[in-house]
Amino acid sequence: MNDRVPLALSVEDLTVAYHSKPAIWDIDLGVPEGVLMAIVGPNGAGKSTLIKAVLNLIPRAAGTVSFYGSPYEQARSLVGYVPQRGSVDWDFPTSVLDVVTMGLYGKLGWLRRPGRRERDLALFALNQVGLLDLVDRQISQLSGGQQQRTFLARALVQDAQIYFMDEPFAAVDAITERAIVKILHQLKERGKTVLVVHHDLQTVEDYFDWVTLLNVEVVASGPAAEVFTSGNLQKTYGGRVSYLHDGQVLAAGD
Amino acid sequence: MMVLERWLIELLLNFVAREEINAFLRSPQHTATIIGCLIAVSGALLGTFLLLRGMALTSDAISHTVLLGIVVAFLLMTDVFGMAGDTSSPWLILGASLAGVGTVVLTELLYRSGLLRQDAALGLAFPLLFAIAVILVSRFAEDVHLDEDAVLVGEIGLAWANTNSHCFDNCVTVTINPDHPQAKMARQCRNCRELGISPRDEGAEFVEICSNCGSYSPAQAWQAGYLQEEPVLVFFPKSITVTLIMTALSLLFVLVFYKELKLTTFDSALAKALGFRPGVMNYALMILVSLVAVGAFDAVGSILVIAFFIIPPAAAYLLSDRLAIMLLLGPLIGAGGAFFGYDLARGKFFGIIEVGDIIAGVNSISGLDLLETWDSSISASMVLMIFSIFTLAWVFSPRYGLISTMIRRASQSRRFDDQVVLAHIHNHQFTDRHSTELRVETLHIHFRWTAPKMGRVLARLRALGFVAVVDGFAELTERGETQVHAFRSAMLEAHNMPDID
Repeated sequence: MNDRVPLALSVEDLTVAYHSKPAIWDIDLGVPEGVLMAIVGPNGAGKSTLIKAVLNLIPRAAGTVSFYGSPYEQARSLVGYVPQRGSVDWDFPTSVLDVVTMGLYGKLGWLRRPGRRERDLALFALNQVGLLDLVDRQISQLSGGQQQRTFLARALVQDAQIYFMDEPFAAVDAITERAIVKILHQLKERGKTVLVVHHDLQTVEDYFDWVTLLNVEVVASGPAAEVFTSGNLQKTYGGRVSYLHDGQVLAAGD
Repeated sequence: MMVLERWLIELLLNFVAREEINAFLRSPQHTATIIGCLIAVSGALLGTFLLLRGMALTSDAISHTVLLGIVVAFLLMTDVFGMAGDTSSPWLILGASLAGVGTVVLTELLYRSGLLRQDAALGLAFPLLFAIAVILVSRFAEDVHLDEDAVLVGEIGLAWANTNSHCFDNCVTVTINPDHPQAKMARQCRNCRELGISPRDEGAEFVEICSNCGSYSPAQAWQAGYLQEEPVLVFFPKSITVTLIMTALSLLFVLVFYKELKLTTFDSALAKALGFRPGVMNYALMILVSLVAVGAFDAVGSILVIAFFIIPPAAAYLLSDRLAIMLLLGPLIGAGGAFFGYDLARGKFFGIIEVGDIIAGVNSISGLDLLETWDSSISASMVLMIFSIFTLAWVFSPRYGLISTMIRRASQSRRFDDQVVLAHIHNHQFTDRHSTELRVETLHIHFRWTAPKMGRVLARLRALGFVAVVDGFAELTERGETQVHAFRSAMLEAHNMPDID
């Protein structure tokens, strides 16, 4: 790894098991500060599990995780999380602005209520993702892409150092995809580190500069140019990836 | 509890006379309505979060298993610690809330074993605890008023009679001992039963027994006629105090932890990541649900209390899409139902229609001889009224009601019909099949529609100026052409935004 840049995230020997069947196995991962990293792998490879275990949302069977050298409990304010869109009930009686404001609850702590300052921060983030027109919209009336952008705005207001996004590109429209990519690059320019669970192999090299290939174990991790090779993809997906003659990925089977 | 009641009465005495308070609370209607409204308010506040967490049935389970807590605490109090068995003791309430939490823990353990689904685990845990409670009641506590009737529907109509008395003036506590002039002394045979003889027989030995000795509170002393001057008393129904405390606790909980409850309910993963404790919030909610369930137990029974938890929030959910408004509407709906529910139990529907008149009408038409007086369970009538309000919301809610949904669907399907016909004309206009495809008389056959339906759609499209009929053939006007392009591009855009939910 690189000695000049501090490690934003360091994972050592992380194992998570569901009913003694390992979902991820002995993960070692060092993510330098300021990279846009795609976590890529077939279904059931443990991509979401890795993120959830790193954030202490599910119990770890073994291993340690540190953010800038500190355990998660002391680094909460450094971490932003965008869960999968389907993980919440979008019929919940609340507005877009309210959902985005939830990102600030961590800074507010117990009992303190959001006020004008929080409202302004949320509006600023909604402007960044292009949802300023839908501020008061009931969240069940959003399209899939708008829901995803709401979640993204919620993570942006957290003003974290390292972001974890679980499939933000899943089933979104082209406008949303471009908006997310733009924001990813803005985050990188501001020195943030972003880890994204990603499915579309064709766009990996365009969107990300760092890649981790995962299939229960880490197959390879590093700069996209070095790691995202047909050989490594074969190892990750088995024989289920086909290529065009120039090495471009055509399709990845599930 | 006594302190709270006294404080409350003193507050009231600033505004109304003592006699008025007593007269007001002695009315079964007033006391039942107050208790019903209080249960409805606390139930709806907590029920809103149960409903949004998909835990409606958990309130069902808890409201049953609190019985186990009540029984175990009662047996511990009377048999182990030798205290008097008071069914409104704080120990019973503590026992009940522990049983409520126990239900949730047991369900979690069964579910975490990975061998059962969540609903099955719940359905397994609470009948078990309830069955243990029933066995304990029938085996050890038969003389307590924990009978089936109380468990089913409660005794809200009798709540006015179970009071604490508070004395404000002329408060004399009377102690009668055998030397007191008003002591009632009687001779009782000491050895009659032992020897099997009658008190008249020789050899019977007697002891002096005082039949009214003991200490009397001012209220009891006045009633027994030991006082010359009437003490100034206020009688306060115990159930009002209990339900008032439950409502205050629920309100405080929701107000103080509004932000935390909202976050843990909507997105517990984010809540956990941000350092809030969804598990702690969940158990706090369950403890309060247990408290309200046990507080309501006396009044409405353990089965009907679920209605107070679930129906008002469900109605509020149909009427609003903001959590804060839901939390306002739910208690209002519940309290309204409780208020009109008492009337229904006494034969009045919303205070305007007499149920007796309806039955009389049915009798005169059908010749049946139904009983015309209507006097039914108060708590069940309250639930019925709450449900009536829910039905109104379900049918008439402006955005999510049955009628507005039907109107919206009908207009969508009309618009869809219009678009299909417009697209058909657009596709075949100026083609060589134009003469077969676009003849107005036969157009409906191509769609396998009835002729009247096609007639209606064409009439509408002509009225909108999208379609013209020339020589018996349909063709698009310029406006119609624009319309086709508009909805086509809208449709293509929608395809790029698939919704996977």
